[in-house]
Amino acid sequence: MNILEILSYGFIQRALLAGTLIAVLCSVLGVFLVLRRLSLIGDGLAHVTFGSTAIALAFKLYSAASLLVSLPVVLLASLGILKLTEKARLSGDAAIGIVSAVGISAGIMLASVGGGYNVDLLSYLFGNILSITYEEVLIAAGLFCVVMLLLGLFFNDLLAITFNEGLARVSGVRTNLINAVLVMLTALSVVLAMKLVGIMLISSLLILPAVSALQLARSFKACIALAALQGCCSVVAGIFVSFLTNLPTSATIVMLNLLFFGASCGLRRLLGAKSSS
Amino acid sequence: MRTLLLIVLSLTAMAVAGLTGCTRGEQQASTKLQVVTTLFPLFDFARIIAGERAEVTMLLPPGMEPHSFEPKPNDIIRISKSGLFIYTSRYMEPWAETILKGTDRRSLRVVDAGQGVSYLKGSAEVGHDHAGHGDHGTDDHAAGMDPHIWLDFSNAVVIVNNILTGFVAADPANAPLYRDNAAALNARLADLDRRYREGLSSCASRTFLHGGHYTFGYLARRYGLEYRSLSGISSESEPSAAKMAAMVRQIRSSGVRYLFAEELLSPRLTETLAGEAGVEVLKLHGAHNLGKDDVQRGIGFIELMEQNLANLQKGLACRSK
Repeated sequence: MNILEILSYGFIQRALLAGTLIAVLCSVLGVFLVLRRLSLIGDGLAHVTFGSTAIALAFKLYSAASLLVSLPVVLLASLGILKLTEKARLSGDAAIGIVSAVGISAGIMLASVGGGYNVDLLSYLFGNILSITYEEVLIAAGLFCVVMLLLGLFFNDLLAITFNEGLARVSGVRTNLINAVLVMLTALSVVLAMKLVGIMLISSLLILPAVSALQLARSFKACIALAALQGCCSVVAGIFVSFLTNLPTSATIVMLNLLFFGASCGLRRLLGAKSSS
Repeated sequence: MRTLLLIVLSLTAMAVAGLTGCTRGEQQASTKLQVVTTLFPLFDFARIIAGERAEVTMLLPPGMEPHSFEPKPNDIIRISKSGLFIYTSRYMEPWAETILKGTDRRSLRVVDAGQGVSYLKGSAEVGHDHAGHGDHGTDDHAAGMDPHIWLDFSNAVVIVNNILTGFVAADPANAPLYRDNAAALNARLADLDRRYREGLSSCASRTFLHGGHYTFGYLARRYGLEYRSLSGISSESEPSAAKMAAMVRQIRSSGVRYLFAEELLSPRLTETLAGEAGVEVLKLHGAHNLGKDDVQRGIGFIELMEQNLANLQKGLACRSK
């Protein structure tokens, strides 16, 4: 099976296009989130999306229409996580844990109160990277542009609050606004990208490229670039490896990311040993 | 303070009234035989056999994919309170045997509706017949039996008879009625079988391809059709990119014009495949479970199978006699 033949399939082309856009997006967001100790926010917001989809299905809003409910609910939940860390002085993992548990239990309660649906809830919740439509490629591209534009616009402020929030606040950065922008961009990405490629891929792409890049990078910008590169490579390579080995595509991409992470750790040791000797 | 007291009192009164209402309702119902079933075909067959003489309920909530079902505490209470529990097999409902261990077997009769059915080994996933993939040695479905026995209508008759045996043993007083109802149902199933055999005898294509998990092996064998599905028996497994491409090639090479999609689950993958190969999507209902709307409309197993026959005839370009 040669590469041209693999590329001749439309669903592979769409997977490559939308997949790399989402991978770069998640990897870049991930660097900020990992450094702010919000690594698991992807998983947490996915659970909230489950809860909100249960509401949407109860109102007979399927697939795209269910976003009318999911999007506002998940945006609010992301702000809720932020408020919990600020007001209740909780660490990010505890705040995410609370919101995530509440989200999933609300979904389960609603599902049992509603007395069943016309379709299987879970199967409608998660997309698959191999079943992306043309419209969804456009959605991914739009999402990519919006998130990248806003991250670029607020880059200096984001950088400031990531390394020292207290100092940033004193020096006049509107920290509340910047924090809210970061988590809301994450919420938007999780809700939309989950429908496209599934949650396993999203939550792993929010963490693994960032932590690998943090092993190696000497500057923040280099870190973002490395993370984006890894995210992008893992998706492209993952699709081809999945083709050649007949393994599930998303799982293959996650495993490749783990491999990259291992390699980054090894490389750092090697470089560290060299520089110290 | 007084309003609070008032609220507490009225709540208590409501709770008491509700509880007594419940027990009264239960007492009334308990004169009838209580039957709990797992899947839709068993529910429908049991409902028809029971007529007015027994109360039949189904464990699966509407819309839920049965492979992912796990019983709640309430369900277990429902099963242990019932007089008759009907399930298909340990391949389909592996959780059933675990629950049954914890129930009082003296008062509860259990029907293994799949008893005496000839099971097929499941797996005609696309890609398995292509040499060179190297996955034949590690075929993890080889040991798995295909649990969708009700889709062979001669098996459906066996299932009906197993259910009837359970009804007669649990409620001998109404045995003649149950026997009559079962005989009528079996006659309808035999008629359905005859219509399938005739309706599918002269088709332009003998291959039907399915974008879901492996479901229709029994149906295909009975009417001499070729059947290929995207995924294996497990509805949770995710296909690889290679499997998707193999399916697209198979659709193109077999020259079919329709791809079949399964019920309840999201048809995303099927639609992607159909779009890629330039064919249309038709629904084929595996009858595991119904959506909420179908439940409310009271659709039966035989009606579902009639819709399937119509779609199969369209999909395979059959001449109707």
